[in-house]
Amino acid sequence: MLYASGIGLLSFALGDGHVLLSPRAARAAGVKPRVLSAREEETLAALGERLVPGSRESGVSLYVDQQLAVSLEDCMLMIQYLGVDPPFTPFYRTGLSAINAWAESRHGEKFSELSDTQAESLIDDLSNEKLEGWEGPPQGLFYFVVRNDACDVQYGTQEGFARLNVPYAAHIVPPSEWG
Amino acid sequence: MTLPKDKVDVVIVGSGSAGSHFAARLSKAGRRVVALEAGPDIRTEQMVSSMLWARRLKWKGAPVLETGPQPIGYVFNAGWGVGGASIHHYAVWPRMHENDFRVRSLYGRGLDWPIGYSDLQPYYDRVQKECGLSGDSKAEVWRPAGEPYPMGPVASANQGRVVRKGFESLGMKVAPLPMAIATKTYKGRPSCIWDGWCDAGCPTGALANALSVHWPEALAAGATLHPNHQVVRVLTESKGTRASGVEVVTPDGTRTLVMADVVVLAANTVQNARILLASASPEHPHGVGNASGTLGQFVTTHLAAPIFGLHPDKTNPWFGAFGGQFLNQEHYDEKENFSEQGAFGSYQWMIAQAMKPNGLLGMAPSRPDLRGSALKRFMERSTEHMITMTGVVEDLPLAQNRVTLNGKKDDWGVPLATVEHASSPESLALWQAAVDEGLKVFRATGADEVWNAPRAPMHIMGGTIMGTGPNNSVADAYGAVHEVPNLILGGAGLFPTSGGVNPTFTIQALVSMACDRMTGEAPPPSA
Repeated sequence: MLYASGIGLLSFALGDGHVLLSPRAARAAGVKPRVLSAREEETLAALGERLVPGSRESGVSLYVDQQLAVSLEDCMLMIQYLGVDPPFTPFYRTGLSAINAWAESRHGEKFSELSDTQAESLIDDLSNEKLEGWEGPPQGLFYFVVRNDACDVQYGTQEGFARLNVPYAAHIVPPSEWG
Repeated sequence: MTLPKDKVDVVIVGSGSAGSHFAARLSKAGRRVVALEAGPDIRTEQMVSSMLWARRLKWKGAPVLETGPQPIGYVFNAGWGVGGASIHHYAVWPRMHENDFRVRSLYGRGLDWPIGYSDLQPYYDRVQKECGLSGDSKAEVWRPAGEPYPMGPVASANQGRVVRKGFESLGMKVAPLPMAIATKTYKGRPSCIWDGWCDAGCPTGALANALSVHWPEALAAGATLHPNHQVVRVLTESKGTRASGVEVVTPDGTRTLVMADVVVLAANTVQNARILLASASPEHPHGVGNASGTLGQFVTTHLAAPIFGLHPDKTNPWFGAFGGQFLNQEHYDEKENFSEQGAFGSYQWMIAQAMKPNGLLGMAPSRPDLRGSALKRFMERSTEHMITMTGVVEDLPLAQNRVTLNGKKDDWGVPLATVEHASSPESLALWQAAVDEGLKVFRATGADEVWNAPRAPMHIMGGTIMGTGPNNSVADAYGAVHEVPNLILGGAGLFPTSGGVNPTFTIQALVSMACDRMTGEAPPPSA
């Protein structure tokens, strides 16, 4: 288990080996995703940022990618509460592919390159389950899951609590800055 | 630690709220006790204060397929590892009321328990001393008869005081929430510091759970506990009328048997039913304890009614206990109070619960419609001004809400469980009545905005219900399976009705009563 390592930072692939970093630091270090493709990771970061400002820099896409790589026992993703059977990678992969497909069919651009107006309109339709012919997980659920992942890294960390002026008051301090 | 090769007095399946209590009582009574836990060992240092890390304490075992319009929320409600769900429970311990035990007799619907409140009262009184409950029994004007709590109540804070005014302005009362949380040093356990991390486990021991109360007692008395040991079936002797032990898969994948004079099945509501169904044999072709066909039936789950608001006053909602500060059971004893709306049942309010910014019960998910800059503004205000409470709404037991086995199997060849659940129209109407009342109360606080979250499942009960005989139930009031009386069931699976209160206190009282019978001890003096 990660916890048993006694360090608790997430293990990311960097260069020829693995290093223990927070998702924010991993993003800054240019870590590549292990499970998601570069395009999926880019889309997830862009969608997360639209939903929860700041979550891109906080490392939402690398957090999700790293969590998809660990065992279910070590998994912290909220999706496990929401009636989706593991493994969870197909859920994210098909959802990210579907949102990109919609972006391209509507605007000829991938999601990460949409304008504010275009992206917000698409997210409105996603959250209201109005994307007919959508070929991903249930639209409302996908929106809810990604939004919560982004909230986790943006507001659920010691840094996030401090950003909101909420005392963290830990009994046992999380072994990494993100959670 | 290796498993015993010889026969033991008692083998216990599951190490949570019920299993740990059985282990403590029976080992202290001189029984040789072996407990088998499917999940890993859990230690207090793993209870990291984080809503992300908290998710490692929830169910990670064999998948449970949930069907029906109101799924039971299995993963969120079940625990994983030593201590089970008691590790992440919120320690709200109200008693069930007299009419909860006689729903069929009094109202012509639902089911009756084979015991009444007076049978269980001495065990509630005993358990609250053993585990340490805090509260104010006089302020709880709705509380059924019983001894005062051994500790004074939780202190109220800003959020509680704000919501209390809403109730009082409508002529309704609140009382301190009865909690299995220490408000002073109690049997060596420290007082709570109200940091609101209950969902992530309580490493200080202020909150009464399997790790802070019963496992230390059980292990000191000689019980052995074996994490990562998956029980796959209950064994019965050749005539099928006595349990002889269990078959278990050890951490290295070896199948072996643990033989015992008594088998206690205290996995959890769904897993107890699954193991009994999967233990079918020529003597029990439809599963052990299933002569009546009721095994798996009458699964219930409270319908949670979360109410939220933003109040002009500073509420500091992150402070306190996850379970809340106050209780209201205004209409609890009037199950037909909302009959004009087609509703039936009881509910209570857990008031002014501590919230974190994230997490399924946190601030951000309470308004899933907000995103971008609107979410950012909402979060900045919520962390200082949010108020919340949750209604715990009774779920009428229905035979079609049940645990069955499906065609898939786990790594050890045991069929997986499917749980179908649809709340009755009466329960859904009661949920709506509760929500309407909750919104009215929050408006009466002077809140700027009030809203509610959709229905959500809270607690899982039924499936292996107790009753008067094998024609209508799986077990008797002591949890003894009618057809196999040395097979004892523990946990909320025994509940024929859900009531509208949190189940853990009643689970504990039932275990205490069962242990008295198993050890031949006299009931407590007040019985």
